[in-house]
Order: sequence, then structure tokens, then C-alpha cells
Amino acid sequence: MKLIDGAFGEGGGQILRTSLSLSAITGQPVTIQNVRAGRAKPGLLRQHLTALQAAARVCGAEVEGDALGSTTVVFTPGAIQAGDYAFQVGSAGSAHLVLQTILPILLAADGPSEISVEGGTHNDHAPPFEFLAQAFLPLIHRMGAGVSATLVRPGFYPAGGGRVVLRVAPPGGPLGPLEVMERGPLAGQRCQALVAHLPYSVGQRELAAFSARVTWPTHGLEVVPMPASLGPGNAVVAELRFAHVTEVLTAFGSRGIRAEQVGRGLADQVRAYLSADAPVGEHLADQLLVPLAMGSGGRFRTGPLSLHARTNIAVIQQLLDVGVEVAQRDDGTVEVTVGAP
Amino acid sequence: MARRESSKPLVVFSILGTTLDRANRAQRWERWRPTVDLCRHDDLVVKRLELIYPPPARELAELVAQDVGSVSPETEVCLRPLDFSDPWDFEEVYGGLLDFTRGYRFRPEKERYLVHMTTGTHVAQICWFLLAESRHVPGALIQTSPPKKRGVGQVGKYSIIDLDLSRYDRIAQRFGVQTRDNLSFLKSGIDTKNAAFNRLIEHMERVVKHSKAPLLITGPTGAGKSLLAKKIYALRKQQRQVEGQLVEVNCATLRGDGAMSTLFGHKKGAFTGAVGDRPGLLMAAHQGVLFLDEIGELGLDEQAMLLRALEDKRFLPVGSDREVESDFTLIAGTNRDLWLRVEEGRFREDLLARINLWTFELPGLAARPEDVAPNLEYELDRFEEAEGRKASFNREARERFLTFATGPEGRWPGNFRDFNAAVTRMCTLAPGGRVDVPTVEEEVSRLRAQWRSPSARVAPGPVQPSLPEHILEGLDLFDRVQLEAVAGVCREAKSLSDAGRVLFAESRKKKANPNDADRLRKYLARFGLTFADVSS
Repeated sequence: MKLIDGAFGEGGGQILRTSLSLSAITGQPVTIQNVRAGRAKPGLLRQHLTALQAAARVCGAEVEGDALGSTTVVFTPGAIQAGDYAFQVGSAGSAHLVLQTILPILLAADGPSEISVEGGTHNDHAPPFEFLAQAFLPLIHRMGAGVSATLVRPGFYPAGGGRVVLRVAPPGGPLGPLEVMERGPLAGQRCQALVAHLPYSVGQRELAAFSARVTWPTHGLEVVPMPASLGPGNAVVAELRFAHVTEVLTAFGSRGIRAEQVGRGLADQVRAYLSADAPVGEHLADQLLVPLAMGSGGRFRTGPLSLHARTNIAVIQQLLDVGVEVAQRDDGTVEVTVGAP
Repeated sequence: MARRESSKPLVVFSILGTTLDRANRAQRWERWRPTVDLCRHDDLVVKRLELIYPPPARELAELVAQDVGSVSPETEVCLRPLDFSDPWDFEEVYGGLLDFTRGYRFRPEKERYLVHMTTGTHVAQICWFLLAESRHVPGALIQTSPPKKRGVGQVGKYSIIDLDLSRYDRIAQRFGVQTRDNLSFLKSGIDTKNAAFNRLIEHMERVVKHSKAPLLITGPTGAGKSLLAKKIYALRKQQRQVEGQLVEVNCATLRGDGAMSTLFGHKKGAFTGAVGDRPGLLMAAHQGVLFLDEIGELGLDEQAMLLRALEDKRFLPVGSDREVESDFTLIAGTNRDLWLRVEEGRFREDLLARINLWTFELPGLAARPEDVAPNLEYELDRFEEAEGRKASFNREARERFLTFATGPEGRWPGNFRDFNAAVTRMCTLAPGGRVDVPTVEEEVSRLRAQWRSPSARVAPGPVQPSLPEHILEGLDLFDRVQLEAVAGVCREAKSLSDAGRVLFAESRKKKANPNDADRLRKYLARFGLTFADVSS
């Protein structure tokens, strides 16, 4: 039984999610103590509980401490079961975080799976659906797995009620290696203003403010109305497609923030990403660590590692016998090597 | 690891806030709506929302249900229409919510309950409070408030108020209404005046509400132990502390080999005649109440097993090698001094210590002269209920009877059993259902005769003969004692029927057509006697 201290490092839900994924993949039981000890409301909140229950279902795990507010979780995994799954996460909690927990597990299954998650798809606390579909999954695909995601219905904060369907076809062996050291030439760029139950003009104003600050082709600017959404919501999503990597950056509209401000904020993010020459952004770096560590390893170049990512690396090294090397380069970027020889 | 209380699915009752939960369709996500917000907390998952709404607000209720479904897909919303013609009318709202909760199938062992206090009128809030405090809703209260920070989608705050916590005692005391109802209930609605008795009932009500420990009720025969046990069970049931049934048994009837298997059950083939499995009375009382009357009569082996069942909630049926579980609440009754039985080695001291935690000594009727009048009213009501016709006393008759009943002559050795018999007789004999002074006088002399020479009725030794020698000659002591007692009653009685009613007072209660006169005539005939012979 491995013992993981949930108060370690960043002390948040990521420790729980990574521990669950790796426990299920390795078949190694884990006890996570001091779950989210550093937070204002310590212990499991509903989205963590959903992630825990989802992880338990896909690998037939026995779980102790699966209650709201619980600070100790004992997770004893069974055999991973490919198949069709449906999960729900409330309070507009992110569907993404649930998928992030179980995707690595189902990549290690011996058959294809289809996972439907109901909940928030576009909120401040996690990367939006577009990041999953356009930035993260293509890299998993490059590692040899068949993966695709469909947004059935967007779920904006606060109403939530969205639905994402993810299809997974495991590689039939370990995930292949991945290297992202350079972006490569720019292959395409697109900026979408998503507008649900709000005036179309909100999106137009956001895109106008955005394109005034960055060099962007006019045909890559698009207002996308989302009438299927249950509640109102607005986000502007910029997608930068390079030969070796795609980055997705997002700014959320909110009452009390002018549309122009939202557009300009996104433009600033795009400029920062382009000027840094770190092909893998902060979120992507975070998400790639587990797939690389469970597969054949790899390398990527990113910006300075967040506490979040460093905590994640520490948890991975407690549960897997894999080397992770972090090297600071002269140009200010960081080179991360997973499964270093 | 023990499963936490919070891992039980949470059910919340909420009245639709026709003002607070209402919002313009387009702008509803910008506003704090208590019922929707309740389901948005990330440290509280409402598994089921029982949304009570007035039928005209159906559309709003459906919109709220739809929005709860989107922010909290884990929540099942049950729409419960409940109409109040005036939601500010205390009686109507209380009655409506009380009926709702009474009709609701609570499963506190499986689910956790909260009542949302923030929506509904102030009257509804008070009613919710009362229903939670009186345990009609076996759960705590939850209060929600809007977020401090303004902005779309901010989640508000909530706080849970558990009325079982002692810090709310003082508030709870101010809402003593339901408690008074419970007290009255335990007293069968009799407005008793005896201070000692009332204190005892109050104490008992508190114990019944807050403790599942065994209760021991002591007191003389006929003081009402059995009736009180029934009332305690009904109160526990009403407050949802018990789910099972009341199983009542008089230990004096459990003698010999059968006692063990009657109580604890047996396996098929455990002994000759055990042709099938028998669960036993303790199993029948699972999740309910077991009333063991005359517990002092229980055999030592049964006492040992009962102690184990009380301490561990498990025991071994006769002939079984596997223990079974039964979780019951015990009420024990006795008219004996159990400590004396312990000294005699006939009652286990450890068992007595276990059941002696809450002991209630029911005083006899003679010790409660203030309660004779209220009990007379109660008996008159009971008579009306049983017989379907009304009986009452005229003023003089009532005064005459109460003077006798509460005076030095009113010993009431059989307590309420005697009292009930006396009232029943008077009501039966009363001309036109109106008890008058002669009827009372007749009853008083009957009671005097009954009580004057208790030795004549039950004395085990030889008695002073009152019958002529030639009659008693050749009779066993056994027959002499009985005959003397019968003759004593006949001398006091006006007629053969009258004497029969007194002599067979107990058995006639169970008969549709009592023919006491005939039984008495036949009895006397066995000794060659007639009513005239013995009454003169």
C-alpha cells in the first residue's frame, strides 16, 4: 500500500487525480491522506468525489473514504474495464477534470471505451473543451492512441449542464514516445467567440478588440452562437496550430467585464505565448506528464514549471519507477525529460 | 473505516420561493435563487430535492427543477404540489406540512434529511422549525444566504442548524408546544394534576425523545404500566425513532422449557417438537420496542441471554450455532422489588444494572387523589367509545363519588383496573346513561365490600367462618375459603345478578354475553345452597 500525502506541494485536487490514475494503471493500492489539506474547504468536494467514483468504476476499485469532506481515501484498484461510461459532475464543476483522471486509465485498457461526462465544459477553473479537443488529444493521438472528443452541449458557468463524449481506442501496448521541442512553422490560426444566450454583438466586440492587438487573418475570426447551452455564457478561444503542437488559449466573459477587455486579455495571452518560444504551455505541460510517464516517455520544452506541475512530477515518481529530469535552459525555458535513460 | 454520516444520500425539503426563486427567464442566472443555489455547493450534494410548491406556480417550479438539473445533475427533483389558501395562516400551514411529513416515507437509516428554511413565508419557517424540533422531520435545518461578492454565478453560503445540539436547547424550550402535545399523549390525553406524576411523565418524555436506553417501569398492579409502554412505543414510532413493531409479553406466562425459544427463537430440530425455525419475540421486535412485563418472573437462563442481547444486540437462538442480530429498545415492567430478587439470587444484578438506567415508578391511584377527577372524564370517554353510548354523572352523584374515591376509604388496591371497573359498572347501571346518587351509593357499598375484607377474597389461611357449621362441615379448606368469600359478596349484593357481576368482574369483560348469575347459581348449587341461603 503506497501512502501519498495530499498536503504535499501544491496540496490540491491534482494529487488525488494523478494518484488515482496511476494506482489504477499499476494495480497498486494507494492511501491518500490529508486530501486537499491546504484549502479553505479541505477534503473531497463534489468534483473530486465524482472523479474518485469514476476512477473506481472504470477499474472496479474498492474505495474507503468516498464522502464529501473526507480527508483520507483508500483506493484498491481491480481490473480495468473498457466500455461505455457516463458520469455527472455538478456545481458546474469541470467535466474536463473527470476526463483527465480516467483517460489515462482507459488508455491502458484492452479495448475501446466511450465516456460521457455531464457538467461544466467552459469555466474559469479548468481548461475548456477546445483545449482538450485541439491541444491535448492530438498529442495523445501522436503517441499511438485513437482518441476523439465531441461537445454534445456546452455547459457554461454557472448553469453547467453541458455534455462531452470522449472515445478512446488504446494503442494495444504502451503509449509511444513523444517529443515536443519546437513548435515548427505556423499552420493555422483561429479565434472563436462563443456566445450562449447573449447578444451576438458581444462576440463581435471581443473579436474586434482581439484582432486590433494581434496579427490575425480576418477569416480566422468567428462568432459562434451556442443555442443548445442551458444557461448564458461567453468565452473567446484562440487556437494556434503549429507543425508540432497546437496551443489553445481562452478568456472568459463575465458580467461587469467589458467585451473589449475580454478580447484584449486574450490577445495579451497570445502575444506572451508567441514571444516566449516555449512550445508547450502551462496547462499542456501539466497534462502530458502522466501519459508520458505511463508510456514510453519523451521530452518537451515549456516555460518555468508551475508548482502544480512540480507537485505532479513528485506524485508520479512516488507511484511509478520512472525518472523525470527538469533542466533549465539558457533561453529561460525548461526542458522536461520523462523516462530519461 | 466507519462510513460517515455524510456518505448517506442527502434529501432536502424546500418550499418553492415564489419571490426569491422567481426570476426573469433570461436573467435568472444573474440572480441568487436560494433553491437553485442550494444545489450548487461543492461540499454539499443534494441527492434528492423535495420541492414543495403551490399548484398555481407549477411553471416556476418546473423551471427551478430544470435549472437544478443542470447545475447539479446528481440531484433528482421531486415536485410536490401543496396548496395553502393562505400561506400566512399558521394553522393551515402547520397542518399542511404536518400531513406532508406524516405521509412521507422517511428512511433515516438510509438517507440524511435537511429542511431548507430560507424560502416560504415566515409562518412556514416557524412550522418547519417545529416539525424538525418535534422530530416529525428526522433531520436538521439548512439556511442559505446570498454571496457576499456580487457577480454572476457566485455561490452563496449555507449553514446547517441541528436542533439536537444542546446550544439550541434554549430556543427549543421556547417552542414547547409539541413537547406539551407529547406529554399529553403519554398521559393518554388525561389532564392529570398530580405534580409527582406529571414530573415523572415529563422526565419520561425527555428520556424517550433522546435516549434509546432501556426503560424500567415499576408500580403496583393496575397502575397502567402496560398502557404507558404502548404510549411510549407510539410516541417513538411517531417520532421515527423506531421502525419495527411493539412486541409485548408477560414474563409470568413464560415458564419452563418453552420460555427460551419463545423469546430467542429456535432452529428446526433444536428439540422434540421444534418442527420449523422460529424467530422468537426478540427478532420480532427488531427495530422496534420489546415490552417485557413482570420481568422479575424471567428465569435466570433467559436473563443471561437477554443481557447479552441488550449489550451486543446479538444472541444465540436455541439449537443454533450462529448468532442472530436484533436491535430493539427494551421497556421492562415490574411490580416487584427487583433488588430484593437480586438478594434472593433470583434476578441477575448485572441485568438489573443494565435496565435500571431509567426507572419510572408509577404511583398507585390512591397516591394521586388529584388525578381521580381527570381520570373519571377519561373513563367516561372510554365507556362511550367502547359502548357507543354516552354516560355522564349528575352534579351530586359526581361529588359523592369523588368524595369517596379521593377520601380515606378510596384505597383502590387494584388501581386503574378497579377504577375502570367501578366506572364501567356505574355507567352500565345508570338509568338513561345518567349516573345518579343511588347508583353511586350502590357502587360505593360494592367497593367497600370488595375492599373491606381482602383476606376473605384472597386469604390463604383458615378464615373466621361466617357460614353456619352444617354447611361448612365436610368441606376442604380449599372450598371453604372460596365459599366464605362468595358468601361475603352475596351478603353485600342486592341480587344474584349483582353478586355475579362483582364475582366475575374480570372474566365478564371478555365476554359478549356474560351470564354471571347463572354461573353463581350453579356454583352455590354444588354446595346445596341458594342465593337466599347465603345472602341473609
